[in-house]
Amino acid sequence: MKNVKALSLAAIMAMTAVAAGCGSDKGSGSGDSKGKDVKLSLRHTNVRDTSKATQDILLKAVKAAETAIPGLKFELDGVEDTVNRDTKLKAEMAAGNPPKIFDLFGGADTQNYSKAGHLLDLTPILAELGLSDKFLDLGEFTIDGKVYGLPRSGYIEGVFYNKTMFADAGVTPPTTWDEFMAVCEALKAKGMVPVAAGTGGPDGWVVNMIANSLFVREAGMEVQEGFVKGSHKWTDAAVVNAFKKLEDLKTKGYLDSSALALKYAEGQAKFYQGGAAMLMDGSWAINAFEDAEKSKIAGNVGFFNFPQVGGPGDGYINGGFSNGYGFSSHVNEDELKGVKEFIKQFYTEALQKEALLTSNDFPAMKIADTSGTTGVINEVLSVSKDAKGIFPAFDSIVQPKVKVTLETTMQELIGGKTTPEKAAEKMQKVQDEANAEK
Amino acid sequence: MNKVLRNPLAYALFILPALIMYIAIYILPLFSSLRNSFTSWNGINEATFNGLDNFRTAFSDERFWIAFKNNITFVLFSSFVQVPIIIFISIVISGVRKFLNFYKTTVFLPSILSTAVIGTLWQFIYHPDVGLINQLLRAVGLESWTHAWLGEEGTAFLAILITNSWQWFGFYIVLLLSAIFAVPRELLESAEMDGAVGFKKSWYITIPMIRPVILVILLLSITGAMNALDIVLIMTYGEPFGSSEVMGTYLYKQAYKFNEFGYASAISIIIFVFTVLVTLIFQQIAKRTEEVEQ
Repeated sequence: MKNVKALSLAAIMAMTAVAAGCGSDKGSGSGDSKGKDVKLSLRHTNVRDTSKATQDILLKAVKAAETAIPGLKFELDGVEDTVNRDTKLKAEMAAGNPPKIFDLFGGADTQNYSKAGHLLDLTPILAELGLSDKFLDLGEFTIDGKVYGLPRSGYIEGVFYNKTMFADAGVTPPTTWDEFMAVCEALKAKGMVPVAAGTGGPDGWVVNMIANSLFVREAGMEVQEGFVKGSHKWTDAAVVNAFKKLEDLKTKGYLDSSALALKYAEGQAKFYQGGAAMLMDGSWAINAFEDAEKSKIAGNVGFFNFPQVGGPGDGYINGGFSNGYGFSSHVNEDELKGVKEFIKQFYTEALQKEALLTSNDFPAMKIADTSGTTGVINEVLSVSKDAKGIFPAFDSIVQPKVKVTLETTMQELIGGKTTPEKAAEKMQKVQDEANAEK
Repeated sequence: MNKVLRNPLAYALFILPALIMYIAIYILPLFSSLRNSFTSWNGINEATFNGLDNFRTAFSDERFWIAFKNNITFVLFSSFVQVPIIIFISIVISGVRKFLNFYKTTVFLPSILSTAVIGTLWQFIYHPDVGLINQLLRAVGLESWTHAWLGEEGTAFLAILITNSWQWFGFYIVLLLSAIFAVPRELLESAEMDGAVGFKKSWYITIPMIRPVILVILLLSITGAMNALDIVLIMTYGEPFGSSEVMGTYLYKQAYKFNEFGYASAISIIIFVFTVLVTLIFQQIAKRTEEVEQ
């Protein structure tokens, strides 16, 4: 009898649970007279301490959009950038349910997602809002003439250096590779770590900033597209030379010996804590360097273009407009209105200028007045103006598989596990496979 | 009421919710993985059938075999290093009269932390510049013994194994302790009268009596080792040079880094088959030793 009681109790509990499950779905229904309740999910990546200023700007735009359309509500969801790009967003795209607004990268990511039909075509919206010609470059987000994403800001990659350490070692910013190696030697002789890098584990892309600039210097800008088209090969002598230079940097002890044991943020911290004299990084990192609370070198950071090697790619600088927001194509009419309002409020000259001033973000839109900047961003702006031109990062051009393989291969190269020649062969093999897949 | 319970349909009805869950989160994904494993699929666009290609690739993939070997090392380390130490510590703690609860709580503490916390904590301990281990070594003048523990091939995987053991020690010890305390006192007392003391008592009385729990712990360790993923992802990401890769992380990378969802599904099927095999082998061994003892 006891059993019977227990069983019926269990059955009742199970039933109530099911009933409760059914009921809760319809809770959030119609709104008040002011406007229809519309909820828009928004995935951002401003989760680090150093991205607080960027987050503030996003919140401003969100608030403005919410005020403009009564009933509209954004649901913000912050996710670490690599996790979002490589895992979360990918899984959501595979399932076909990305957030309505999300952090998106141009290049291969945008291509895959738009092919799957999950990205909203922004071309008509841009025309409607009069934004079509306001962006500096939408190339990485444009496929077959249609725009599928909007860059939040641009970036410039180059070498940041600690001015105090340079003065202590009696060296000045180098312009050629030989000078660069001499500077490294002088720093090393003084017992300093010349070049910091946190490129262990998933952060193989960090060392690739150096590799990327090196092979473009050696082989010219067109090499990146050439890999995909088949007109250039990783095994070309110029590319192998680039790999040799990177290997040199490590074997001579100029690259931090713990580079492979540190993650990106740790390598960066080593630089701004004064533990290393130079760091190859992007302009997005300036915020961390100039943060007086955390950085020991705030106000004391310099910037120079990656050294010249005497190749066809000399004088150019790596930069691009590859990171911004994308929008889901699975939106209803009300949600679309909200998306439009967000674009209208977020992509404004005022907020772009504010981002430049408060978080040192390289503007993605044409803004008339860039005055008022202080610190190393000024050097970045002037160095990029002096450059012959800007080349995009290779990973916005080559296939994802090639990108990842270069990460592990360069880790192997600086770890002494492979030779420049073998690394080049491996890269070409993967490139051939990826090119054949199309 | 009793009549209802004699009706088999009633039982079917009761297990229905659980069955639906089981099918939805276990059986269906298993079959969809199986289907995906025969395709070339980037996870987003259309999949194309490619037969046994993925499995062929896996068996000739050097990195996959490193991962496989690491899983086996993981299993062996768990069974032959971790579990004996756990048994030893449990027996020692069970003999302690004072502060028993203090010890219990202390060893159990790591088990309530999430793997993410533990991974990050130990990353600090292994940190090449400011890590506890290297600082200790430097303090006692053993500068040459310092390593970039998680960044060197020779030490990375071992470092993970140690961290993983540390994490699970407490949980298993508490399991074992409760088993040890359940051993009838009369049995131990009569054994003592027969002259079994100290080590002998443990070996001939306690361990055989807690054998079922030890087997459960072994089984949990083995399946845990076969499915290891989070701790590796957090601490080394399978690097340097894939030397600390396990099958789980390799699968994860194929899916989310290389966009090879088809290949990743094939690997998941292989892991499934291997885990079933290892578990079966273990059960056979467990059964046989039981027969020998009886």
